[in-house]
Amino acid sequence: MSEVETETVTRAARVRNVDILVGADADQVPLVRSFAADIAMRMDFDLDAIEDLRMAVDEACSLLVRAAAVESRLHCAFEPEAQTLRVRVAVDAVDDRPPSADPLAWQILTALAESLTERVEPAGGGVHRVTVELVARPTVMDAR
Amino acid sequence: MTDDVDPRLAELASLAEGDPRRAALRSEIVAAHLDLARNLARKFDRRGEALEDLVQVATIGLIKAVDRFDTERGNFYAFAVPTIMGELRRHFRDTAWAVRVPRQLKELHVTVAAASAELSQTLGRAPKPSELADHLGLDREQVYEVLVAGASKQGASLDARLAEPAGDRFGYEDEQFDEVDNRRALAPLLAALPERERRIVVLRFFRGMSQSDIARRVGVSQMQVSRLLAKTLRQLRAGLGEDSTMAG
Repeated sequence: MSEVETETVTRAARVRNVDILVGADADQVPLVRSFAADIAMRMDFDLDAIEDLRMAVDEACSLLVRAAAVESRLHCAFEPEAQTLRVRVAVDAVDDRPPSADPLAWQILTALAESLTERVEPAGGGVHRVTVELVARPTVMDAR
Repeated sequence: MTDDVDPRLAELASLAEGDPRRAALRSEIVAAHLDLARNLARKFDRRGEALEDLVQVATIGLIKAVDRFDTERGNFYAFAVPTIMGELRRHFRDTAWAVRVPRQLKELHVTVAAASAELSQTLGRAPKPSELADHLGLDREQVYEVLVAGASKQGASLDARLAEPAGDRFGYEDEQFDEVDNRRALAPLLAALPERERRIVVLRFFRGMSQSDIARRVGVSQMQVSRLLAKTLRQLRAGLGEDSTMAG
């Protein structure tokens, strides 16, 4: 089951805050990353930045889906800001392992996002709320 | 893995430009980090292109990263990941279609792709949808439509994703085994290449020279350099048995 909720107030670049709730399952990740790419496109990110965001969201979602408790849901919030797009992805996990414990995934996210933070909070009932929050930049310069 | 300070990178940096040990040490380092190139290549396989081709492109990026890494920077990953991704991204500026797209849209896509290449040159970065729209005299929704259709070049994403072993896409545990095998394997393969092929491979991937520069230096056409490189990489890959070690 998936849910999409769009805020009534219009934000930067005429894009609104959007919340997506999908099953925490690998086959839902392509849906979320396409959503992310579409938002970035409408915010007029450059084409490389759109691809970077698509990949970053894919990575963040895949990382959290792997950690998610059985039958739980993946929550993804998109918050357009003046120049950037803030993306917050969260799941409930039994384990309190922080996402950065996967060094390669974390390095990829670091390379793709302007800034990156993580949170692990107790969520009651023996589960932990694990969150990855990233800010995507609207242009990319190649490291040649 | 977190604090990745491969002592061989420092050793490589310490060797003089003409030192004969350089080439062997470089290929050894490259072979040791092939997993990184593979993992990153896998992130792009949603575009429906053969994974081994992507691994090849990523490996070129890896070789460039080894070649250009400044040991003062400390973390090799932090340098190698964006370098390899840049290589993959450039590779994808021009790709084939995996699904049927309405003809008019497809033609528009070719136009947008050409404009994108042209604007990338003049801007020094990838263009924005608004810049494409202005450049082509299209409205933004049309450009969006083309870009979304372009994303469906990814085609097989779902199947590809499901084919991945669940929950263990990076396979750290067996990485050391792969490394040992690859390191042992790559050096003799390079050494076994004919003189001209080896020279071209070294100039292109270890010195980062452009194909045109190599063509001038070796005295063949750029087209020949391109063909020889493709052929040689195929041989190296076949020799490494990349396909059989791909899982994980």
